[in-house]
Amino acid sequence: MASRALHQCVRSLGRPSLWLLPTNLAVRVPPVFAAAALRPLSFTAASRKTRWLGQSYISSGVLCRQYSDLPPLTLDTIKDRVMYVLKLYDKINPERLQTSSHFMKDLGLDSLDQVEIIMAMEDEFGFEIPDAEAEKLMTPSEIVNYIADKKDVYE
Amino acid sequence: MASSAATRTAAGAAKVVKPIFSRDLDEAKRRVRELYRAWYREVPNTVAMFQLDITTQQGRDKVREMFNKNKHVTDPRVVDMLVIKGKMELQETIHVWKQKTHIMRYFHESEEPRPADFLSKFYRGHEP
Repeated sequence: MASRALHQCVRSLGRPSLWLLPTNLAVRVPPVFAAAALRPLSFTAASRKTRWLGQSYISSGVLCRQYSDLPPLTLDTIKDRVMYVLKLYDKINPERLQTSSHFMKDLGLDSLDQVEIIMAMEDEFGFEIPDAEAEKLMTPSEIVNYIADKKDVYE
Repeated sequence: MASSAATRTAAGAAKVVKPIFSRDLDEAKRRVRELYRAWYREVPNTVAMFQLDITTQQGRDKVREMFNKNKHVTDPRVVDMLVIKGKMELQETIHVWKQKTHIMRYFHESEEPRPADFLSKFYRGHEP
């Protein structure tokens, strides 16, 4: 019976309106409600950061909050963000920038410029890149591969 | 005496000296990059804390200029000593042991530039 209640919880998580409506709460058995309430808390207590606490109208028309994770990283989104940050950098000519352009040889940047670029990537993606590995990242594609490697984005 | 000086310099060229922090130039450059990162991240806080009348970009350009002044150095010990001095400056800036005037001294605002060509030096004259 407890397992049946848990199955009901799992199915009901896909329809959050069911347990958000106050009338339903009175109808539901209290331990079922307790189990259903515990599941979302464990999601938010996970190690990932919650950034977007948006409210949205789901299909049933009820306004509900969706405590969600960051949108999942894919290789394309990482590449787009890296190229966007690089285009914003004023020492880089955006027309000549490609994923394979070397910072020092093609774009004529300094080693300190490369440090600034890596710091911009750290700020964009929110994690530290140690200097021993940062000094080897000389093209945008290498940066994308490194971030995908660190964030476990499967190729 | 000239021959002994020559032998001394010949020996000094192959001498192994005790390093200060880093063993080779790569390690020294890594320290320089770490220092640059720390200064880069500190500039906006400095501008806010001391209420300077410069923009963050101007401050960062000044940091870059100070780093570029010593770009030509190849000896790891000299690089280490410069990094140590830079770290001392950074510590004094972070802890607000300096004052606004000490930070603005980097910008040479009220100093006249020294004359470079002959006529300007002539007009200025020799200082007694």
